[in-house]
Amino acid sequence: MKQFGKRIWTGALAAAGLLVSTGSVLSGPSVASLNVCTDQLAMLLAEPGQLKSVSNLARDPTLSSLHEKALQYPVNKGLAEEVLVAKPDLVVTGTFSLHNTTGLLSRLGFAVEEFAYAQSVETIPADIRRMGRLLEQPARAGAMASRFEHDLAELEPLACSRKPVALFYGARGVALGKGTLAHSAMQAAGFTNMAAERGYEGVAAFPLELLVQDPPDLIILPRPTPGAPALADEILSHPVLKKLKATVTGSFSRPASLSCGGPFTMQAIHELRDLAPSLLPCRKASGS
Amino acid sequence: MNRPRLITMLAVLGIAVFVLSLLIGPARIGPVTSIEALIAGGNEAAMIIMREIRLPRALLAVLIGFSLGVAGAALQGLLRNPLAEPGIIGISASASLGAVLLFYTGLAGASLLALPAGALTGAALCVLVLLVISAAQASTITLILAGVALASLAGALTSLVLNLSPNPYASYEIIFWLLGSLKDRTMDHVWLVIPLMVVGWAALWASSRTLDALSLGEEGASGLGANIPRARVLVVCGVALCVGAATAVSGAIGFIGLIVPHLVRPLTNRLPSQLLLPAGLGGAALLTIADIVARTIIPDRELNVGVVTALIGAPFFLWLVIRSRRELF
Repeated sequence: MKQFGKRIWTGALAAAGLLVSTGSVLSGPSVASLNVCTDQLAMLLAEPGQLKSVSNLARDPTLSSLHEKALQYPVNKGLAEEVLVAKPDLVVTGTFSLHNTTGLLSRLGFAVEEFAYAQSVETIPADIRRMGRLLEQPARAGAMASRFEHDLAELEPLACSRKPVALFYGARGVALGKGTLAHSAMQAAGFTNMAAERGYEGVAAFPLELLVQDPPDLIILPRPTPGAPALADEILSHPVLKKLKATVTGSFSRPASLSCGGPFTMQAIHELRDLAPSLLPCRKASGS
Repeated sequence: MNRPRLITMLAVLGIAVFVLSLLIGPARIGPVTSIEALIAGGNEAAMIIMREIRLPRALLAVLIGFSLGVAGAALQGLLRNPLAEPGIIGISASASLGAVLLFYTGLAGASLLALPAGALTGAALCVLVLLVISAAQASTITLILAGVALASLAGALTSLVLNLSPNPYASYEIIFWLLGSLKDRTMDHVWLVIPLMVVGWAALWASSRTLDALSLGEEGASGLGANIPRARVLVVCGVALCVGAATAVSGAIGFIGLIVPHLVRPLTNRLPSQLLLPAGLGGAALLTIADIVARTIIPDRELNVGVVTALIGAPFFLWLVIRSRRELF
């Protein structure tokens, strides 16, 4: 406890130093983020200068919706040593990543806040508000969360002949089933998730044969990682996928919009909804 | 057993398991519908499943099994070593390393041709190193130990290259390259390996007369006028083509080339030339059976076929080692 108090004291000193040197008012604690999902919420909510570093994955366009914005921040590799040197007042990370680092940092007296791996559209506003409280930016977070809630409530059921059926089909032949953010976004958009329908949970291997036997209206494929080939991407160019004439295949304008929950998740939901009329006979819904 | 009868039996077994392999898959299609869709078309979904998913898989099992079987038989003949096998003495692992080096580093773009090019080079280099070692040191055990060392070195380097790849999926693929799989292969892969394998089979067949002579020892063979250097080159090229092409599309699959020659040898007159074809046919049947087991033993989950062949092959290898110790020492 004593150690922690001392750390706040040094943190305050550092903040005072910055205040003197730049003349700007630094509001809220300084933060280091070690997880690609907390990175994105923190980048959206932090004051300039408040966010000391984000994880290196924040710059990966296949994982981070804010990869361009992440170029403005120093990056960490999620190592305890980096945090020790940077001495932030607060460390934010995900429950899924780097358990050892999290435990070590807590023992060393750092304040560590873990965010659950976002698994549904409904938990996004609460996560935004929580990040806002931690960064002491509640007004900004409140507005962002309320806007998301409002947009979510505004979504009308699709006026199509039936619910369109979709499948997120990824590298290595896996599908995103029940309990994933993609599943929740699909439901919010008014789609049926074929993988969840068939009882698949989480990220699960989905046999190509089943896809052919009962093709969905829409298959969403990721983009291969540029410049670094892997066999995993072979499945995306499997001749079978080209033979399924009834199905549109494509990926989102921001491929990472469903890897982490955030305001950008709403964009993915709208993109899905906009695809519906090309899949099934749909009446143009009023207002959307 | 006379030779035509043995060959007929193995061929019938191979065809039977090939058909069985075509009938197994997660999409439950009746056997009659399956075969109808494969040959005549009709139901579009069934046709795509049969022609684009199950046929390439079953064909590759047969082609790769045949290649590994003949490669094992030829190596055992050339090295006069009952334990020589592409997997055990590191040829498959070196082929994996070659493919991985050329493909994942992006040196050859994302072209699939990088895989066989790298795998063939890796396999050929490994066979050459082993030949040099066996020329200097004729002992059975030295050669096997050198091969085991090469196999673990190639395996470690394969893991290293895949770990260093910036592609997040690459490290998942370590298991594929070390313990192969036939999952979701396409007809493109079949067309890719057929020409390489056919040339490989021809090279091994062309060496078989000399291998027969070699079973009398090198001096005896030279006395009979056999061209031993030519046979060596043919076996190196043939094994590199067979194992390289196989590994390029399926990863390293071990022990097929060990088990099959030993099982069929007692049914032949034990001459390498008489063993090649039965070993190939037996290899085709055994790999197809292993692939069926890999897909069906755990419901709704698929094992890598390399795991199945290792589970059968490693105890068999152990048994051979114990038995050959008794004979050699």
